[in-house]
Amino acid sequence: MNSGIDLQGTFIESLTELGIPPGAAKALWMPLPMFLMIIVATLGLLVLVWLERKISAAAQQRIGPEYVGPMGVLQALADGLKLVFKEDITPAKADPLLFTLGPILVVIPVFLSYLIVPFGQHLAIANVGMGVFLWVALASITPIGLLMSGYSSNNKYSLLGGLRAAAQSISYEIPLALAVLAIAMMSNSLSTIDIVEQQSGYGILGWNIWRQPVGFLIFWIAALAECERLPFDLPEAEEEIVAGYQTEYSGMKFGLFYIGSYVNLLLSALLVAVLYLGGWEFPIPLDLVASWLGINEISPWWQIITASLGIIMTLLKAYFLVFIAILLRWTVPRVRIDQLLNLGWKFLLPVGLVNLLLTAGLKLAFPFAFGG
Amino acid sequence: MLKFLKQVGDYIKETGQAAQFIGQGLSVTFDHMRRRPVTVQYPYEKLIPSERFRGRIHFEFDKCISCEVCVRVCPINLPVVDWTFNKESKKKELKHYSIDFGVCIFCGNCVEYCPTNCLSMTEEYELATYDRHELNYDNVALGRLPYKVTDDPMVTPLRQLAYLPKGITEPHDLPAGTQRAGQRPEEIAKKEEA
Repeated sequence: MNSGIDLQGTFIESLTELGIPPGAAKALWMPLPMFLMIIVATLGLLVLVWLERKISAAAQQRIGPEYVGPMGVLQALADGLKLVFKEDITPAKADPLLFTLGPILVVIPVFLSYLIVPFGQHLAIANVGMGVFLWVALASITPIGLLMSGYSSNNKYSLLGGLRAAAQSISYEIPLALAVLAIAMMSNSLSTIDIVEQQSGYGILGWNIWRQPVGFLIFWIAALAECERLPFDLPEAEEEIVAGYQTEYSGMKFGLFYIGSYVNLLLSALLVAVLYLGGWEFPIPLDLVASWLGINEISPWWQIITASLGIIMTLLKAYFLVFIAILLRWTVPRVRIDQLLNLGWKFLLPVGLVNLLLTAGLKLAFPFAFGG
Repeated sequence: MLKFLKQVGDYIKETGQAAQFIGQGLSVTFDHMRRRPVTVQYPYEKLIPSERFRGRIHFEFDKCISCEVCVRVCPINLPVVDWTFNKESKKKELKHYSIDFGVCIFCGNCVEYCPTNCLSMTEEYELATYDRHELNYDNVALGRLPYKVTDDPMVTPLRQLAYLPKGITEPHDLPAGTQRAGQRPEEIAKKEEA
């Protein structure tokens, strides 16, 4: 494997050549990827909302947004703008501090989690050693925010929604963590970059989905539940509890919940792509393609092609999963709260444990295939 | 032990079935994605009302003989017929006639029973106003004819399902001169004559 493009290294190098001390150069570099990541997450959100509305419309033989921008691509932007200009109401008997803090606590961990999403060998904000674990940890902050907003709204529906959200997130975090654990066991690392590296080399055949099909399903179901996507959207089940914890919110505070849920869906899809579908890997190993075509792997233009292909592949895989999530939304009816908890505790958890044990056993038996 | 194994087996079978049914459902929703939207984009496209459409009622002042049959057959005695008896000609003279479409249920009884056919149903259904009193139509407003959807240059008229050729459910881009399934009334009449 070659090292690929190292933007950070080149940026710092070029700045030090201009006479800026290396420390200052690094400090100059640091906000750039963060800013980029926020932009990527927001753009991804706009595309996601547009896709959601268009695919939902197609699944119901409707047209969907059409007039705001070509094919209605700017509809999400228009909606967001509308939310910004809406009056921000705090109910008279609500707790104003917690009421404001709730949506903030929901959104920030989601955006922070983008730290660990890699789009290429060196195209991640941080190669955190405990990458996936950091995501699981950050994801468990979200239910606190939901509970906070549900409780502080001083509304029975909000409280019910908040409690449901907390119960759901907490119970589905365990199978999620178990599925991640099996992956971590196979790749001997929690870092998302190492996990993708471990899947590389054999193209589509090397992806974790073939070695962890059960884990993939558990992770996907649990991720849908974490994102409160339909079949598991009980916390905001409009037929039962109005809009759950969002009931009393308006304006941009409601917008934050909205942004949070969609960015979270995109994040989950990206992580499934990273953990199970080989991240930025092309279905055919690109090194092989290079050697077939007789291209020097270190030539700059080939590097640029592989890097951009990596980004495109990651996004393609993520949006394919998003597509499946949207299709599932219009296929599967909402589960009841008891069914939800039964599925989480009595099905996903034991199956996840068995999967973990099996992975451990397979790792001992076939160390070459299961990351010995 | 065997019983336990059977339970496990049944559970696995049920899980498999659940997965199969979700897969079937997904294939149905996926299949819907390639179908054309059924949307009628309302202010730009409108369905052509059928010939028995019960829209706003039209009233011809000169035909009315002030018999008040319309009032009697109306479920809520809605039409207001204001007339005086002319002693010289010994006839009723109609002064005003009005129907409040905010209250009318468009049942068509008045049209059905009017002895002089001075009442009729139109295709008009866009009656929204900002004030409900504007819905109280007097004999002048009742005498206006609605604009036909097919004549409106701003509107693409679309045929309803029953007026499409056999086997076609898509009203957009029909070739000119296509007829609905079955015979038209005039064709049936011609056949009866022959």
